Amino acid sequence: MIGLRSWVARRLLLGVAQTAAVVLLVFALTEALPGDAAVALAGDQPDPERITAIREALHLDRPAYERLADWAAGLLHGDFGTSLASGRPVSSYIADGFGPTVLLAVLTMGLLVPAGVGLGVLAARHEGRLADRLVSSVTLGVYAVPEFAFGVLLITVFALRLGWLPPTAVGYGTDLLAHPAALVLPVLVLLSRPVCSLARLVRAGMIDALASPYVAQARRYGISGARIRYAHALPNAIAPAAQQLARTIDWLLCGVIVVEALYVIPGLGTVLMNAVAERDVPVVQGLAVVFGLTAVVLNLGADLVVHRFSPRAGVAA
Amino acid sequence: MNAVAEIKDLHVEIDGRPIVDGVSLQVRPGKITALVGASGSGKTTTGLALLGEYPAGARVTGDVRIPNGLVGYVPQHPGAVLNPARRVGALLRDIARDQVRSLPRPERRAAARTRILHALSAAQLPEGESLLRRYPHQLSGGQQQRAVLAQALLLGARVVVADEPTTGQDALTKRRIVDQLAAVARQGIAVVLLSHDLDVVRALADEVLVMRGGQVVEAAPAEQLWLAPRHPWTAELLAADGKTYDSPPTREGHTALQVRGLTARHRDGAGIKEVVRIPELTLRAGECLAVVGRSGSGKTTLARCLAGLHRDYAGDVLLDGTPLPRSLRARTREQLAAVQYVFQDAKAAFDEHRPVLDQVARTAVRLRGTGPREALAEALNTLTGLGLTEELVRRRPGRLSGGELQRTALARALLARPRVLICDEITSGLDTVTRRGLLDTLAVLLRDRPELALVLITHDLDTAATAARIAVLDAGELIEQGPAQQVLTAPRHEFTASLVAGSTRLAPDLRGSASGPVVGTPYLA
Repeated sequence: MIGLRSWVARRLLLGVAQTAAVVLLVFALTEALPGDAAVALAGDQPDPERITAIREALHLDRPAYERLADWAAGLLHGDFGTSLASGRPVSSYIADGFGPTVLLAVLTMGLLVPAGVGLGVLAARHEGRLADRLVSSVTLGVYAVPEFAFGVLLITVFALRLGWLPPTAVGYGTDLLAHPAALVLPVLVLLSRPVCSLARLVRAGMIDALASPYVAQARRYGISGARIRYAHALPNAIAPAAQQLARTIDWLLCGVIVVEALYVIPGLGTVLMNAVAERDVPVVQGLAVVFGLTAVVLNLGADLVVHRFSPRAGVAA
Repeated sequence: MNAVAEIKDLHVEIDGRPIVDGVSLQVRPGKITALVGASGSGKTTTGLALLGEYPAGARVTGDVRIPNGLVGYVPQHPGAVLNPARRVGALLRDIARDQVRSLPRPERRAAARTRILHALSAAQLPEGESLLRRYPHQLSGGQQQRAVLAQALLLGARVVVADEPTTGQDALTKRRIVDQLAAVARQGIAVVLLSHDLDVVRALADEVLVMRGGQVVEAAPAEQLWLAPRHPWTAELLAADGKTYDSPPTREGHTALQVRGLTARHRDGAGIKEVVRIPELTLRAGECLAVVGRSGSGKTTLARCLAGLHRDYAGDVLLDGTPLPRSLRARTREQLAAVQYVFQDAKAAFDEHRPVLDQVARTAVRLRGTGPREALAEALNTLTGLGLTEELVRRRPGRLSGGELQRTALARALLARPRVLICDEITSGLDTVTRRGLLDTLAVLLRDRPELALVLITHDLDTAATAARIAVLDAGELIEQGPAQQVLTAPRHEFTASLVAGSTRLAPDLRGSASGPVVGTPYLA
């Protein structure tokens, strides 16, 4: 266990370094974009003098490295800085956007894991037969449809034609839980592709595991079918799926821009898109830190799950 | 005594080809029934029939009767049947769970635990408590085998099928497995032993069935079979086993390969570990050097250093006086061709999708720049020289037997025209007849190719006896080396002496008991 602990510590340290690298890269890329917050604030009729004035007011005339150093020093005290566009603290942007994003992510995950694992186990159990072919062809088909196309299709059918569900979350603010009907379509779109990839990974892992000598031995000794599937074969099929799942959660938490834009959900993706449009560097950087840390923690979690279920495989830091 | 398992006139056919052809046998409680025969003789298929398992697509006729239906199975690689993702305790609990179902819920847990601990101690795993919390990969090979046995005992099996339990094990480990199976039989459980290791069969079996080509050619009580085999095939099998090899004299040919001050290391999370230390070792052209030692003694690591497969070592490996680069990648084509390696697992060493002939010919193309057509002709020539037919070598690896594949692997190495040929346990998975054939082939090779030097890595002293010189490794240290005759008859180091004693001890014990009564297992008493 000591080995495992030091491994986790090393991984976290490495993760902090990775996050720092992400922040630097994002800062450099935002700097490289044409125009800055001053230009964006100046509006449609930019007056050079006004732009200069705004630049001075926002301290944008200082060299890039000084601004970065200031911001980084603040970050060490937990201060994400203030938005250039509105003057509000960056942390309030993140806090506002986090609610809807986490809500969507939790709902999606709650449905994704049982659905993906269930379909995968079902297909593996009936390998090569009707159920397997049905599951495999449907998952492959749905996987081939991009989110925005699927989203538009769902809106057209269920909101515009049938009128069962609201087309977007416009007007509901950040309290989406009070309007569950508005969540159905976005969650469906978010589920569509991850369910397919998860089901296919679980199916492949289960087929391997069900053909293994240890499952044959369990059958020999009269252990029940369900127990063999879920307690003996599934743990061995989980390892590759866990990695994929971590990537999916990461994708969900970092704001799924396409879905948020399509259904007008004020999540982190929307915050990020607006911040980039306004060249609001502190907000972009703040989000980069949050996204980076999320990715690091989730992947570490996935590796720990893999370590539990395939303890033979060494873990590399 | 009533039979606890019975097979009557079993036929198993795949695509019209009989695998098992009219086998009948009876298994009695507390007795050890051995099925012996070369690989491919149908003994594993017969053994698995007791478990109600048949190869895919097989046509089965005949009768397999097991009155209480519970049969345990200990496969050749026990690790394979232990689920890597579950602790040993969980694996055992799954079996115990069904047995305590009749008890009231609060008592089930404790009852299951009692049963598990009882099974563990019956399987001679007294340290069982702590083992329950471990994953299978954290157990040693011996513990894995006993854990699998504990599963069978926990199940309440009246019959245990043990498939090649001692194959590839050194003499001391074999000894322990023999004691283990004997103890199982003493508990009144019938053991069906599938083995080509006649030493072990001698030490254990009450009843022996000799199989060949899917048929039982001879079935008799063990004592009778050893003393008076009736079938010529049995006689041949016994003769191959009993044959003692005359070690060839050492040669004073020029030095082909020299090892100087070699220290090989392994790195893992914990740090650097020195695994092999060889101050000085010389290999002469035209000579065979056997490297012997128990599993884990560093034999294979040494071989891998020579071949450039393990590059983390200090010291020098000199070929004709020039140091070889440590890594395979830094070696020139000529250096690569000069040192060739034949692996223990011949099946894993071939691409399963291409005919073996093409794969053998490829060596000459890659390492000697021969044209494809000439390479193919040379490959065919070499392969037929090793006793394989053209029809056979045009097949894919899956359709060759273990012995045939091992010859093919040998041919592939020879096509590089090596100076040094390293054979890593190439006979350990083979039955006695096939093994003798392969060792004879090696002897002929040495005679026909005076420039060739052979390194024979083995844990089997009978195999080592075919070499001119023997080097003994223990825990990575080179403890003794010298002419084979001298090492085997007058070992200077006490470890060598114990190894030599260990390998001869299995057999005489039983040969002594051969005169005992037919019923019972005097050796075990």
